[in-house]
Amino acid sequence: MNKGYVVKRILYTIFIFLIVTTLNFFIPRIGVEDPAERYYPPQGNMSDLEYNIIKQMTRKQYGFDVSTWEQYMRYLNNLVHGDLGTSLQAGSPKVVDLIADRLPWTLVLSVTNMFISVLFGMLYGTYAAWHRGKWADRLLMNASTITTALPAFFLALLFSLYMGFEWEWFPAYTDPSLVSSFDWSAQAIRKVAQNAALPIIAMSIGGIVSYAQSTRNSVIAVSNEDYVVTARAKGLTTRTVMYKHVLRNALLPIVTSLGMSVSGLIGGSVVIEQIFNWNGMGTLFLTANNTNDYPLMMGIMLFLSGVALLGNLITDLCYSLLDPRVTVGGGRR
Amino acid sequence: MRPRLKLAALLMALALLCTACATDYERRGDTSSTLYIGEVASAFPTSYMPWFSRDGVAPTISSMVYSTLLSYDQNTDEYEAKLVKEWAYLDREGKPLLTEDGKIDYDRLEAEYSGKDTACIPIRFVLDENATWSDGEKVTVEDIYFTFDLAANQKLSNHAGALAWVNDLLHKYDTQTGKLRRQGIYTYDTGANEKGYPISEEEKDTVFYFEVNKVLGAITPLVSTVLVLPEHIYADIISLDNPINNTSPSEELSYAYQHPVGCGPWILDREKTNGQEIVLHRRADYYLQGENGDPLYKVDTLKFILYQEINVAIYALKKGHIDVLDASIAANYAKLFAQEKDVWVASASGLYTNCLVLNLNAPSDQSTPAREQLKNPTLRKAIALAIDQEAIIDFVLDGHGRTAPAGLVLEGDLYAPNADINNAPVEERLKEANALMDSLYPEKDEAGYRMADGKRLSYQILAAPGEQDVVSFLQVLFQKIGIEVRYAAKGNSPETTYLYGGNFDMTLQGVTLTPSNVDIMMNAHFSNLNRSSNYGRLVDEKINQGIAVMRSTLNRNTKYDMVKRLEELVAKQYYKLPLYCQDVTSVARTDHFTGWVVDDGENAFNMMSLSQLKKVEGR
Repeated sequence: MNKGYVVKRILYTIFIFLIVTTLNFFIPRIGVEDPAERYYPPQGNMSDLEYNIIKQMTRKQYGFDVSTWEQYMRYLNNLVHGDLGTSLQAGSPKVVDLIADRLPWTLVLSVTNMFISVLFGMLYGTYAAWHRGKWADRLLMNASTITTALPAFFLALLFSLYMGFEWEWFPAYTDPSLVSSFDWSAQAIRKVAQNAALPIIAMSIGGIVSYAQSTRNSVIAVSNEDYVVTARAKGLTTRTVMYKHVLRNALLPIVTSLGMSVSGLIGGSVVIEQIFNWNGMGTLFLTANNTNDYPLMMGIMLFLSGVALLGNLITDLCYSLLDPRVTVGGGRR
Repeated sequence: MRPRLKLAALLMALALLCTACATDYERRGDTSSTLYIGEVASAFPTSYMPWFSRDGVAPTISSMVYSTLLSYDQNTDEYEAKLVKEWAYLDREGKPLLTEDGKIDYDRLEAEYSGKDTACIPIRFVLDENATWSDGEKVTVEDIYFTFDLAANQKLSNHAGALAWVNDLLHKYDTQTGKLRRQGIYTYDTGANEKGYPISEEEKDTVFYFEVNKVLGAITPLVSTVLVLPEHIYADIISLDNPINNTSPSEELSYAYQHPVGCGPWILDREKTNGQEIVLHRRADYYLQGENGDPLYKVDTLKFILYQEINVAIYALKKGHIDVLDASIAANYAKLFAQEKDVWVASASGLYTNCLVLNLNAPSDQSTPAREQLKNPTLRKAIALAIDQEAIIDFVLDGHGRTAPAGLVLEGDLYAPNADINNAPVEERLKEANALMDSLYPEKDEAGYRMADGKRLSYQILAAPGEQDVVSFLQVLFQKIGIEVRYAAKGNSPETTYLYGGNFDMTLQGVTLTPSNVDIMMNAHFSNLNRSSNYGRLVDEKINQGIAVMRSTLNRNTKYDMVKRLEELVAKQYYKLPLYCQDVTSVARTDHFTGWVVDDGENAFNMMSLSQLKKVEGR
């Protein structure tokens, strides 16, 4: 891998992250003279005097009583120390703690979903491409139409209704004691698997079809390249042609979409989490939004942006690993 | 390739089989006296700070774990005993202003204080000597002084709600120095006798006095909203550096929030409570008892289960995973349960009058020709006449609602028949509305809409997505008098961004006026122009003066008469036009518990139901 390329990518990512943090800082300040109004919106029957007292309290409490520059410096300093502020929730919990509590549960769903989607999607996509026009390929085309038309949340509701409530194959929603009773025992892990089954199925159907579709298209495109024809003409086995010549070259667009979906790993399952009562990041963001909890919203946004940038960085680095011709800003050499 | 695919598919199927042994739901196998309550919310609170009620279920839990001094019954307009077993306004000689049957003597209260040169009204309270905290300590007057003193002190409580609750208590702190400027709470140890409020040695743990503003409504938020805090828990951990409701609470304060010690009938089970469920147990030592000395509640345990999606919660109830849903459901969902055995569908009368609010006084920077037109009372009257409440209830609410009078108060002591001015048959009203419109805007375009200065008469109705069906129906109704209305989506904070700023033509708003809130809400809806519920900025001197006089009268009967007269004035303004009053539809199961009761404005899980519930034998 080109060392200069790696350094430039990392510096570029840091630069973008700095811009994101600055934008994030200004979120509660957009459209209002006093950010305290965002944190404590005026209540119906409050007199001006009462509201001014409250704004004064809020300004002091959240550090809006100093200059914007000073607030910004304080904000950056807190970020450097891993402090994303305190939530407006009762008891003022730390945003970092709230994210840390929810993140593993979201990762259970999203990482499993991604693993299943990529594995089965690639396998099936390759198979469909190799048997182009046959039943497996036609099935993929039809499935693609259906999953595009039916969003994951609709499937989730259907699965919850039938497989959960009516037939009782899986828990229709997460057991309320799942998080509190989790202790890494085999029984607890099995319980997590049971409760995660329906959300993962609902999420991964679309993922499998999507990865299968892009793998199929990519494999078909590569299969027509001269070097693949040559490899076949040399008398190599189908398996060797497929794995050594086709699949590796067909991986590039898949790696790109994989990298792009890293940000969705954490924030992309809001509705699914909501339907299945899953105690993850999606519902945390929803809570923040519903309660106008700006510190929490800002913390989550910054975290998601950081993850997305990291995902892009990893994608770029993988890209250059898979295709050494890739350079910064220059496409391929 | 193929064998690997098969192997993978086999492994996947095996994994699914391993997990596909659906657990049975806890409710079905639970034979204990536990009520399972479904809560629809995005999250449960992580701690239970008694005064902080931003999160959905937090105020319900706090009100069950903690207690107020008294409770206020909206239906009877009476106060009921809780921590306080006796109370009375006092005359200037310190004698209670009570009638022979022990009720508040409003006539004497008025005679004693109205217009007199006295700064305040004193009130004497007697605590229930049996009241205890859930850790076994007795509830004392020190707890009362601590609580109300804290609520009034911005430097220590830093809580906007608390500040508003104690607004009429004449116990005031200097906002700058944080020093007590005027004392208004008196106990044996804080100078009651010196001030002329007698407390004997025997009474020193139970008797205390408040001095309040000369406003009849002053007492309600004080006695029925402020949850009393345990002084022995909080006194040592709250300080200027660590105020209650602070963004960086100390470890001790966080612990106190998470392990509430209250004096209410329920106690939080910290071990079993988590982000997905809240468990409360009935306190065996609770001091208030039902008839014949029975416990006030017959349910031993309450289990609140979080559902983030209403449809999932409804199905959970249908399938017997929970006993009751603490939420109202859309009226058409009632059909889902029509054939269900063991499910009770409750329909309680709603308390809110849903109104169409017209912007009749937009600030100059928000003024538009459409809003200028709405200043004309004749146009507003025509719009009011075109509203067919019965049709809205039939078509939009599926029949689950009732009509509301122009005075906006539905029934009871405040209902003013003279304010019910729009009750002629629909055809007559429509005819009159069109006649008024003909006099104002005779010209029509090709679609039949009326024209003003060459432009169609058209207004936007600012509403939430869930209210689109109402707006659509209003489109149909207003078309009949040649007015076009369109839906405009409310943003995230309409109060701050549109409504308080006057940047809207029309909007929908729920209004409820009750004996306990008229002091505040009459002013908020029809007089106050500063960030109040008076979105359309009505300015009417007669109404303003009437409200001021009504608020200051100390005779309840006179007050009610004044409210009725104000309703008449308000009705004639054609400003907040009633659309309907929606019933509260809710569901509960009857296979484990029976005795559910309907309470106005409440869903099936209400405090009256909870006190009546009985476990079904053998379940």
